[in-house]
Amino acid sequence: MGAVIVAGLVSGSIYALIASGLSLVWGALGVFNFAHGALLMVGAFVAWWVSDPAGLGLGLFAGILACMIFMVAAGAVLYVLLVRPWIGTPAVELTVIMTTVAGAMFLENLALLIFGARLKALDQVVTGTVKIAGTAMQAQNLLVIILAPVLLGALALFLKLSKHGLAIRAIAQNDEAARLLGIRVEVTYLVTFAVSALLAGVAGVMIGGLFNITPSMGNEPLLRAFLVVVFGGLGSLPGTIIAAYLIGLIEAASSYYIGIYWTPVALFTVLIVILLVRPNGLLGRSA
Amino acid sequence: MTVFGGRIGLFLWMLAIAAAIVAPLVFTGGVSRNLAILALLFAVVASNWDLTLGYAGIFNFAHVAFFGIGGYVSAIATIHFGIPIWLDILLAVAFVAVLAAVTAALAVRLRGIYVALVTFAFVQLCVALIISQKWLTGGAVGLVGVPDLELFGFRFGSSAMSYFYLAEALLIGSTLFLRWLVRSDFGLSLVALRDNEAYAVSRGMSATRQRVLAMVASSLFTSAAGAVYAHYLIVASPDVFSFSLTTLILSMVLLGGTATIFGPIVAAIALTVVTEQLASFGVVRFMIIAVLIVLTLRFVPGGLWSLGEIFTARRGAKGEESAR
Repeated sequence: MGAVIVAGLVSGSIYALIASGLSLVWGALGVFNFAHGALLMVGAFVAWWVSDPAGLGLGLFAGILACMIFMVAAGAVLYVLLVRPWIGTPAVELTVIMTTVAGAMFLENLALLIFGARLKALDQVVTGTVKIAGTAMQAQNLLVIILAPVLLGALALFLKLSKHGLAIRAIAQNDEAARLLGIRVEVTYLVTFAVSALLAGVAGVMIGGLFNITPSMGNEPLLRAFLVVVFGGLGSLPGTIIAAYLIGLIEAASSYYIGIYWTPVALFTVLIVILLVRPNGLLGRSA
Repeated sequence: MTVFGGRIGLFLWMLAIAAAIVAPLVFTGGVSRNLAILALLFAVVASNWDLTLGYAGIFNFAHVAFFGIGGYVSAIATIHFGIPIWLDILLAVAFVAVLAAVTAALAVRLRGIYVALVTFAFVQLCVALIISQKWLTGGAVGLVGVPDLELFGFRFGSSAMSYFYLAEALLIGSTLFLRWLVRSDFGLSLVALRDNEAYAVSRGMSATRQRVLAMVASSLFTSAAGAVYAHYLIVASPDVFSFSLTTLILSMVLLGGTATIFGPIVAAIALTVVTEQLASFGVVRFMIIAVLIVLTLRFVPGGLWSLGEIFTARRGAKGEESAR
């Protein structure tokens, strides 16, 4: 039971970080970034390359720092190359799906070209196991469980208090009014993508420390994040976070009690039921 | 302006038919013939996807799964239940049509991007079910031993040319069906619903019914192609549900030009050939294709087919001027 909850919380934390980035971009720009999983993978590889002796060998903290800086830049570049040219065109939703799918294809194969297909792993930030309320877990798991809410809290504060955060929310609510008030929409879009990529990079480092780093490591989490945003309602941050933990826990419980193969079936059934009752997600805004 | 009306259109049709007859004689090598068969089947899948994506504006990301499920139904029917060949293809088409109707009925309640996400999740569900039900589907390895097709005692496998002609017949049938459909009242109603749903509904169209029908119509030839693909390869494999195949076929639709039917067909054939030509580049070829996709979307947003239309429109305008 304890192990199931831990597993559920760990995946929930990671899903929350990934899905909140997707949700943020959706809220502000009304586009969906299919390269988000690839960004996560890029983050993990950057952290690995900077920290591992096979790369620069600068140690884990340099790796994580480099990853965070790199991700901010990567998010901005991705926006400029794959999103900005199509903003305001009639079929922007579909076109950006396609350009970001192409971007993901590019990044995945680039990683394959540079690093090869061999599995890599990041060092763990903390090692060993800890025991809480009779449940033993890897210390790294505990760190993920604690760190994710902290980061999500920081994101909430950023959105509530900082100038850029307020601008992101203003644009999500009313694009035109935000423009009229002198918010520089272009800059805000860029910032949104940078923040979203940063969250993906952190998730990538977490996954890299717990599991393996491969060029295709972003695909599975991205698909789960799709479920999360549909559950929670795109553009709603609280909904996304609740849904992420819910899905993490449902997934862990169903893997444990009814078998790993039935997990997607269980998730999908819940998804269909929720969408039939609430077509905009649990806490999503209506059309 | 229609590309296939008028004299230029007639010429293009004759050119296409001539190419279709001559092609198998050109593709004599096993590799290039295999490639040609794949290109034709993918052209069927891509052009049918164009019906829902381009004309109806439904982000159905489960389209390639219809192709995959068609193959699996065909394989399971022939291997486990001994259903005669050809009949299994019909069964696959019927099964997928029902499945498409159910999926569509659930999905079209949602708006734009949610449809994409839910249909994406639906594909994952299919993969999970197929991999877990090993006794029925062969699991991750796939279901091997789909019987060869046979007509009046002639085994298709004995000459790979026959699969080429079959794929070609499928593509021609599918194209005629799609072109007829999109120019019918039904096709026009799909476009109307895509462009102005509120107005179309106020004129008495049922958005749900038309969209469900569009999904079912797009599944028919797609699942047939999937079944033929399984017979051709002798195996139904879960690989067809991979993200990369969906990406490849989606890029065919978008590079060719949405809402054209012909565009995706041309792009399917071009892209299959280009991918093969770049094979020596290894993984770099996928990077090249990714860059090509983005550049096309940036500079030729109407897809490759729109280039042809621009060209013929200019020619047509010049012709009219000189006639005057």
